[in-house]
Formats: sequence, C-alpha cells, structure tokens
Amino acid sequence: MTRPNTGEVDPQDGMAAEIKSYAIGFAVSLLLTLGAFTAAMSDISATMKVLLICIAALLQIVTHLRNFLHLSFSGEQSREDLLLVLFSVTLLAIMAGGTWYIMSDLSDRMHTSHEGTTHSFKSN
Amino acid sequence: MSETNLYPGLNLGSGHGEAHDQAETTVFGFWVFVMSDLFIFGILFASYASYLDPIGMAGGPGPQTLFDIKSVAIQTAFLLVGGVAYGGVSIGTKYEHGRTVVIASLLLCAALGAGFLFFEVKDFITQAGKGGVPQASGWLSAYWALVGLHGVHVFSGILWISAMIAQIAVRGLDDVVKVRLSMLGVFWHFLDLIWVGIFSFVFLVPLA
Repeated sequence: MTRPNTGEVDPQDGMAAEIKSYAIGFAVSLLLTLGAFTAAMSDISATMKVLLICIAALLQIVTHLRNFLHLSFSGEQSREDLLLVLFSVTLLAIMAGGTWYIMSDLSDRMHTSHEGTTHSFKSN
Repeated sequence: MSETNLYPGLNLGSGHGEAHDQAETTVFGFWVFVMSDLFIFGILFASYASYLDPIGMAGGPGPQTLFDIKSVAIQTAFLLVGGVAYGGVSIGTKYEHGRTVVIASLLLCAALGAGFLFFEVKDFITQAGKGGVPQASGWLSAYWALVGLHGVHVFSGILWISAMIAQIAVRGLDDVVKVRLSMLGVFWHFLDLIWVGIFSFVFLVPLA
C-alpha cells in the first residue's frame, strides 16, 4: 500500500503516498548533493573525491529515475519503458565510454611514442 | 483495469479514463525523444572528459580559474527545488486540485528555472571575461556546448511551461492538456537528472 503511484482505490491514500515519494526523493537528492559538494571541498585525496562524487551522482540519478520520473525497476509498469531506458543506457555506455577510452588511449600512446622515438634514435 | 504505470512520470491513473490511456502512447513516444536527447548529452559528456587534460586545455584558462563552486551550488539548489516543485503540477492534476494549484506550481517551476538561468548566464559572462571563451581550447568548446545545451533546454522548458499555463487558462484541465503536462513533467525532471551529471562531472570532478 505504501508503494508510490499504484493508484489505490482511496485517492487521498494514494496522494499521501505520492507526496511522500517526492519528499523522500527530495531529501535523498539533497543529502547526496551536499555530500558531493562537501567531498569536493574537503581535504581528502583527489582519487577519493572523484570516487565519492561519482557514487553520489549515480545514486542521485537512480533516485531521480525512481522518485521523480516514476520509472519502476521491479516491473510494475509496462516493460517497454524500462527496456527503452536500459537499451539506451547500454548504447550510450558503448559510445561515450568508447570515445573516452579511445581518446585517453590515443593521448597515452602519442605521449609514450614521442619518448619511444627518442629511444629508437639513440639505439640506431 | 490493473493499476500499473503505463508510462514514465506520475501516471494520471484510470480515474482519468481516456486521458490516462491516451497518455500511454504519447508519453512513451516523448520518452523515446528524451532518450535520444540523452545520447546527445552523453556524447558531449564523453567529449568533455576526453578534453579534460593539459593538451585539451591548450594553454587556455582551466577549471580552477573559471569555475565558481558557490555559484554552481546555487544553480543546483534552484534546479533541484524546481524539479521537485513539478510534483505539485503532477499531483495537482492527478487529484484534481483545480487549475489554480496547477498554474501556481507551474509558475514556481518557471521562476526557479529562471533563477537557475540567471546564475548560469552570469557565470558564462564572467568566464568569457576571464578569457574562457569557446574558441580558446577544445576543453572550453566542449564545456560551452554541454552546459550551454543544457541551459537552452531549461530555457525551452520555461517557454513550454508558459505555453501550458496559457493552455490551462484557455481550455482548462482537459484530456489534451493533462497528457501534455505529463510530457512536460518527463522533460523537466530529465533536465534535473542531466544537471546531476553536469555539476558532478563537469564542475566537481575537475576541481577535485
């Protein structure tokens, strides 16, 4: 009965659940945002900062999908919505992740091949 | 009929009869558009991340010089509260609180969106003044394209909200308007979701 957006028979009951869902979404988003900003401004190592910011961002994106976009992860809605999102995210991960990987790999190779050329000159 | 969610966003529910059924196909179609928008943003995020090194910055001004973390926090607050405020529109429409509640919530969303844009444009002007123009480096081109595109989306969201207020005033909350409000909700919440990625990966990670 406390599940948001299931359209109960008593409309007031459903409304209370939906307001609660928005309130929870807001509270969680606010905490995660504050966490990310606090981490960025703290004195911990850069790697830890990036890790914490990434975790907070992922959790907040999931919160937004659940509480604001009302996307259900447990299949209590038409399956197509979830499939569309999962398919889009998979394609995006391949394209965006692939772009980032190729470009950073290229950057590394151009950097090291410059040194490599110097070495080969020496050995010749 | 079974009470399941037929489409993303707060469902109108079967009490709304035809509008609820009509919304299934229409909002799903809009959700497909939003996912294509997600691709554009995703690729721009990837370009931004690729340029985020000394070569990409090409001797131009970097994140430490250009970014103002306080202003980013203010913009984040505006957009987060603005996104939650749309809950007033969705719940007000679904439980028939009348057009005054819905219009008031829409005005609140538009005002918070405008507040966000004010600080964003202010930042853009300051950054351009410090030499952080798009043509200065590949990193700055990616930055302006990504954050600028999001700003343009928020601006079109405000235009859409204004159009919906006019439609509610003229035709009332009829079936067509309810379906359009459901789509606007998906769009408005999606912009908030993209901003989570922007404040985390565009602003906070480079400053870390």
